[in-house]
Amino acid sequence: MSGLIRGNFAFMGKVALLAIVTAMLALLTEHAFVQKEYAIGSFLLFAILALNFTYLTKFSIPLKFFVPGILFFIAFVIAPIIFTLSMSTYHYQTGNILGKGEATQQVVTLGAEPDENGTTFDINVGETPSGDFAILVSDIANNKFFISTKDTRTEVPASGVTLDENGVATAAPGFTLISAEMLSKSDDYSRIHYKYQDKFYIGIEGQNVGAVFQQSLTYDKAAGVIKNVVTGDTYKDNGRGNWAKVGAPDEMLTPGWRAPIWFENYTKLVSDEKVRTPLIKVFIWTVVFAGMSVLTTFALGLLLAMALNRKIRGRRIYRSILILPYAMPSVMSILIWAGMFDTEFGAINNLLHTHIAWFTDANFARGAVLLVNLWLGFPYFYLICSGSLQAIPTELQEAAAIDGANPRQIFRKITLPLLLQILSPLLIASFAFNFNNFNLIYLLTGGGPRETLDGQIAGATDILISYTYQIAFGNNTQDFGLASAISVLIFVLVASISLYGLKKSKVMETFG
Amino acid sequence: MNRKRLGLFGVIASAALAITATVVPAAHAASEILIWADETRGPHLATLFAANPNVIPGSTIKVVSFSSYAALGDALDKYTGSAGPDIFIGGNDWVTKLAKSGKLAPVTLTASQKSNFAATNFFDLTYKKKIYGVPVDINNVAMVYNTKLVTSAPKTYGDMVDFYKANKVSKGLKAGLCFTGGGMAWGGLSGLSALGADPYFMRAKGVPDVYKGFNGTTFGNNVKKYLLDANGKSNGFFPATDTGCADNFKAGLVPYATLGNWEWKKYQDLGFTMNFMPVPGVVAGTYGHMFGSVNGAFLTTNAEKHGVAVAAKSLLTGYFASAAGQIAYEAIELRPPANLDAQASASVSDAQKNMANAATLAGIPQIGAFLGSNAGGANYWDSSGGYWTAVLVQGKDPVVEGKKLAAMWKKNVAVGKADL
Repeated sequence: MSGLIRGNFAFMGKVALLAIVTAMLALLTEHAFVQKEYAIGSFLLFAILALNFTYLTKFSIPLKFFVPGILFFIAFVIAPIIFTLSMSTYHYQTGNILGKGEATQQVVTLGAEPDENGTTFDINVGETPSGDFAILVSDIANNKFFISTKDTRTEVPASGVTLDENGVATAAPGFTLISAEMLSKSDDYSRIHYKYQDKFYIGIEGQNVGAVFQQSLTYDKAAGVIKNVVTGDTYKDNGRGNWAKVGAPDEMLTPGWRAPIWFENYTKLVSDEKVRTPLIKVFIWTVVFAGMSVLTTFALGLLLAMALNRKIRGRRIYRSILILPYAMPSVMSILIWAGMFDTEFGAINNLLHTHIAWFTDANFARGAVLLVNLWLGFPYFYLICSGSLQAIPTELQEAAAIDGANPRQIFRKITLPLLLQILSPLLIASFAFNFNNFNLIYLLTGGGPRETLDGQIAGATDILISYTYQIAFGNNTQDFGLASAISVLIFVLVASISLYGLKKSKVMETFG
Repeated sequence: MNRKRLGLFGVIASAALAITATVVPAAHAASEILIWADETRGPHLATLFAANPNVIPGSTIKVVSFSSYAALGDALDKYTGSAGPDIFIGGNDWVTKLAKSGKLAPVTLTASQKSNFAATNFFDLTYKKKIYGVPVDINNVAMVYNTKLVTSAPKTYGDMVDFYKANKVSKGLKAGLCFTGGGMAWGGLSGLSALGADPYFMRAKGVPDVYKGFNGTTFGNNVKKYLLDANGKSNGFFPATDTGCADNFKAGLVPYATLGNWEWKKYQDLGFTMNFMPVPGVVAGTYGHMFGSVNGAFLTTNAEKHGVAVAAKSLLTGYFASAAGQIAYEAIELRPPANLDAQASASVSDAQKNMANAATLAGIPQIGAFLGSNAGGANYWDSSGGYWTAVLVQGKDPVVEGKKLAAMWKKNVAVGKADL
């Protein structure tokens, strides 16, 4: 047995495992660098070095236990927090997703306007004797042919070209055709503006199609502006991630880019009526939902734990049944409950002989959410209350009873205070969990009902996290910057409430 | 680290690099065109290109299928850098968002290529006057009536309601009209439009009328007349959701239903007659509009980044947009092709043609710039269902809510026109 953890066999196993992990991380690193995700790639490279250094040296024994945890902590806790914090200071939404360089390049690409008639030609791609890319253009309607390169256009008489069965020129003096197979190896030839006439050029629009364009938008890097050479308009960086027209700032070119706007997303939470009003409503409901959820699940769990704390027949069977909701995946339970609340076909309306539209009435929907959360949450409190009740010395209750206290007084004055002292951290954790209970809201009601005809964005059962999701992903215009700012707000709120609760309960003192 | 351990590290590093270099394929193979599609189109395209591997000389085509249309949309939304496809097959509801975010690349079609399609098809593929893809097939719904319950085609909306009221009890009808495919917003437009609510109107020449809105009072009164009882509650003819519609129609408990053009075959196989028609309006000879939109094959900016822009453009314009390409594809996909020559082809089934005819009779282009706009408070997709919930479930006044809907859509169009 000791051979498994010491000796050559164990050492070889360690080396093999390290090689596999290193290979996987090296693969991810390669992908990250290929995708130009340099921060992720650098972190993965650091992880490879850290793992190999830690496990191949005797630098630090404790580090051998901590390194995987530290790396995961950085990757999945610290990095998302930093990213969210950073994005909350950006104008980062639909239309402002790219970096400035790529956005500007695309604006210029989109600034290639086809000529008035949408002229297109049949072309073949080849090269000149000097090795420059060239296109042999067939103007079949006018029986004219010419060879174009980036800088020159050479007319070729009809008698000088070889035509295929469609009348398209495939060969001409001074032009060597390049096969489609060869061309498929690189797209470089397609980025060239082949000379046509005046300001117009021929762009490649398919393996054998060229179209006439005029480059209307050009980027003046020195002046930091984009100019429209056709209309004479100038567009400058508006400081919010868009090229905006000088004199008419509302006219902007797309796409835009992510631009820092510092605390604007935060001030918007207070100053923008459209954001502030639903946010306040959602915040109030979030606190009520989280508080009620903790209260009801704790009350029911405690009640059942006290009931089953006495010796009764079939106690084990009852206990097994009571933890079943906890054993079942919550996603399944929520979806089953959603079906049971269906107005037309749901079991609840059928049993009650009612026709309640559970998810279209705000109050019924909120009731349904609390009810389902009670079902999902009470087994947890039942389990921990059962354990905690057994930890309270029975002598205390017996002494109180001898002193004349009735059961209710014993519960209020002895059992409950002692229980709360033990369970306070768990109650606070449960509150924090429910504050961000996205799964329940998203799967059960989707945050609804919403009065869409009144322009409501937030639904009656939306909590802060589902509202954030709605802002980030729920609409045609996705505002990741604002959603990040709300996420930071949630983080601060949950952290503050948890710290306050922990301080009040004096739990931290117990841990010294 | 001593020399022995350094050597060991070298061995591990070499082994790791050897594994990654030999086992792992490159993220995007050279001259490979990557296509993303949903769960039905993806496998069909894979079959198509497996049988025709050389449609673009020198290039290979790889198709990636997603589990649903929504999953495809989600992936298109979320990919960053060059991780996405070169081409994807999708609907117009994504065009504005993706073009605005710089994920789509423009495609230039020749005049003859454009003439192969109805001019309105290009609304679905356009953002700020640039075309970002080619029309592949028509995407519409059409109404059918169950000939075991109803003997002749209804002429007006009132005919359907009268039939429902007269037979509700005796035949145990669960509803009069419902939507089996496309959802209450997309598939359900004809239900709204037949009673007078349209998100926008088209002028005669296929140009949207950006100033005209529907009359909320007229629409609300029609809802009151046809869908509510004397107490202002739903009379059951038109359910507020599409839950159970397909099952009830199949079971003969709903006389009229709209089908999506991707699902007619399974109903035909069950023995239903494919008597396609648009939903009749309140006046004989008028019909509720349906989205006669097209699904497109769209070019992304990744094609340029992957060095396959020319090949991808050739695949779009030379194959996806061609009659031959669409006939080959729709023989598997079974939707009406968008290419006019392909539509007329003998190899396209009667059902496909009749579906297309229904779209010709009452179809309107699906203009994402209007439908996706939420300038009025909510976009079309959320507000259309919101109306039915407010009136049929919550019992709100149909005229008051109708006026709100009309004002909201009018503002959406007024603002959305900037994105045309």
